[in-house]
Amino acid sequence: MPILSVTHLSLTLNSQQILKNVTFSVEQGEVIGLIGPNGSGKTTLFNVLSGFLKPTSGVMHFRDADITSVSPAQRARLGIGRVFQNFGIFREMTLEENVLVALEALPKEQRMLLGSIKDAVKGTLDMVGLSHHAKKKAGSLSGGQMRLLEIARTLKSGKELFLLDEPTAGVSPKMTRQVADLIGELKKEGKTVLIIEHDLPFISQICDRVLVLDVGEVVLSGAPREIKHDKKLQEIYFGADAAPY
Amino acid sequence: MQLIVNGLIAGSLAALMAGGLALVYGVLGIFNLALGQLALIGGYGTWWLHASGIPLFPSLIGGMAIGAIFTWLTFEIAVAPFYRRDARIPLVTTIAWSMILDAAILLTLEERPRSILPGGKHFLPFDAVRISVEQIVLIGCTLIFVCVVAWVLHSTPFGRKIRATVQHPDAARSLGISSSLLHRIVFIVSGVLAACGGIYIGIDQNLTPTLAFPVTIKAYAALIAGGKDNFWGTILAAYIIAMLEQLAVGTPWWFGNYVSAGYQSIVALLFIIVVLLIKPTGLFSHRARAA
Repeated sequence: MPILSVTHLSLTLNSQQILKNVTFSVEQGEVIGLIGPNGSGKTTLFNVLSGFLKPTSGVMHFRDADITSVSPAQRARLGIGRVFQNFGIFREMTLEENVLVALEALPKEQRMLLGSIKDAVKGTLDMVGLSHHAKKKAGSLSGGQMRLLEIARTLKSGKELFLLDEPTAGVSPKMTRQVADLIGELKKEGKTVLIIEHDLPFISQICDRVLVLDVGEVVLSGAPREIKHDKKLQEIYFGADAAPY
Repeated sequence: MQLIVNGLIAGSLAALMAGGLALVYGVLGIFNLALGQLALIGGYGTWWLHASGIPLFPSLIGGMAIGAIFTWLTFEIAVAPFYRRDARIPLVTTIAWSMILDAAILLTLEERPRSILPGGKHFLPFDAVRISVEQIVLIGCTLIFVCVVAWVLHSTPFGRKIRATVQHPDAARSLGISSSLLHRIVFIVSGVLAACGGIYIGIDQNLTPTLAFPVTIKAYAALIAGGKDNFWGTILAAYIIAMLEQLAVGTPWWFGNYVSAGYQSIVALLFIIVVLLIKPTGLFSHRARAA
C-alpha cells in the first residue's frame, strides 16, 4: 500500500484553476522529486498536501487514512513533516528552543521514545554541526545554517513523510552536499521524501522518481534517467525548439 | 516623584490590559475591541460578589472567573466563526459585541459609581509622595502577573508553543501545534488580564459603565506603540504613555497654568499618531511580522 496517494486533486483559487486533476502515489521509502517551471503549482501542491489549502475536489490518503479534510497540525501528528521555501524557523528563539518546541509538540508516546529531551536536542544540533550555536537566536544564522536547522528539526521529529520545499535554495555547495547526505540518511531509515527543487542535477542524484508539473498538471513521471532527455521536459523548460540540456 | 508614582499606578492598569492584547494579536493576528467591557465585567463581578458578603480574596478569584467565562463567550460568538475567513472581521464583530455588553452592563448596573473597597484607601504617611497601601499592592500584583506571564512564555512548553505560533504560525502548525486550542487559551488569558484591570479600577477608583472605551483606547495605544505582537514592548509602552499623561496634566506648562485633566486621554491618541508617523511598526519592533 502506498504511504501517500493523491487522486484527482484539483484546486481553484479566485476563479483560477491552480491544480488540475493531479493523481499520483508514493511508496514507503521513495525519494520523489517534484519539478516544473515557476508558477506550475509545486508549492501550492505542498500546501494542499500539508493541509494549508483545502482542495476543490479530489482525495488524499496517508497510509489508509483519508486526510483530505484534516488540519495541518493533525497531519503533522500523523507523521507528515514540512520544510518551507521561506525558512520555517522561529527566528527570535534560540536554536535549542527551535528543536525543543518541535520535540515537545510530538504525541506523548513518540516523546517517550526519545528518552532525555535534552540529549535529543543536542543530538539534533550535532547532526548538522550547529550545537556550538545552541544558545544563539536562530535569526542570527546564515541562510544555509537556517535551512540545516529546519531540516534537522523536521527530521528528528519522528515523521514518516517529508515535504521539502527547495531545501537547497540559497545554500552553499558544501551545505547542499550536507542536505543530500541528510536525505540519504532518511532513505536508509525507510522514510519517504517529496522534494521540490530547481537544481536538476541534485534531483537526478538523490531521487528515485521525478514528477513534472506544468500549469497545475502532472505531465511526466519516471526515473530521473528516463525523463532527463524527454522532449516534453525540454519543451516545458526551454521551449519547443530547445536543445537537450 | 508624585508624577512617577501616578504614572506607575496608571501604567500598571494599562499594562495589564495591553499585555493580553499583545498576546492575542501575536497569536491570532486580531484586535478584540470588547476588551474594556470584559475588564468592567471582571470588576463588577468582583464588586457584586464582595458586596454580597463574600470575603475579598474569593471575590477576586470569582471576578477573574466571571471575566474568563465572558471572554470565552466573546471568542465563541464574536471571533471564532469569523476570523478564519478574514482576520479583519473580528474588528467589526467585537465592536458589535462590545455594544451589546455595554448595554447589558448599563441595564444591569446603572450609572452609579461602584467601589470594590468602599471604606476608602489607607494612605502611607509620606510627605513627598501620596500613595496608598492598596495602590502599592496593585502595582506589586501587576508586576507579579507580568513576571508570571514572562515565565510561562519563556520557560514552559506552552509558552514556547505560543512564541513559535507568533513567529511563524504555519511552521508551528506543521510541527503539530494545534492552533485552535492555543487560540482559545491565549484569548481567555487576555480576558483574565483585562478582568484584573477591571478589578484594579474597582479598587483604585470607581467602576462606571462608561469606562470601557477610554480603557480600551489606552491599551490599544500601548499595543500599537509597542509593536503589536511584541509583549515586552507593549508593557513598556503602557508605562510610557501613562507617564506622559501624568506629565501632560501634572506639570505647569505656561505661566504656572496646567492643562485640564479632561485632556489627559488625548495623550494616548497623540502618542499613537506620532509613533505611526515615525515608526509604523512600533517603537520596540525590530522586525516585520513573521508569517
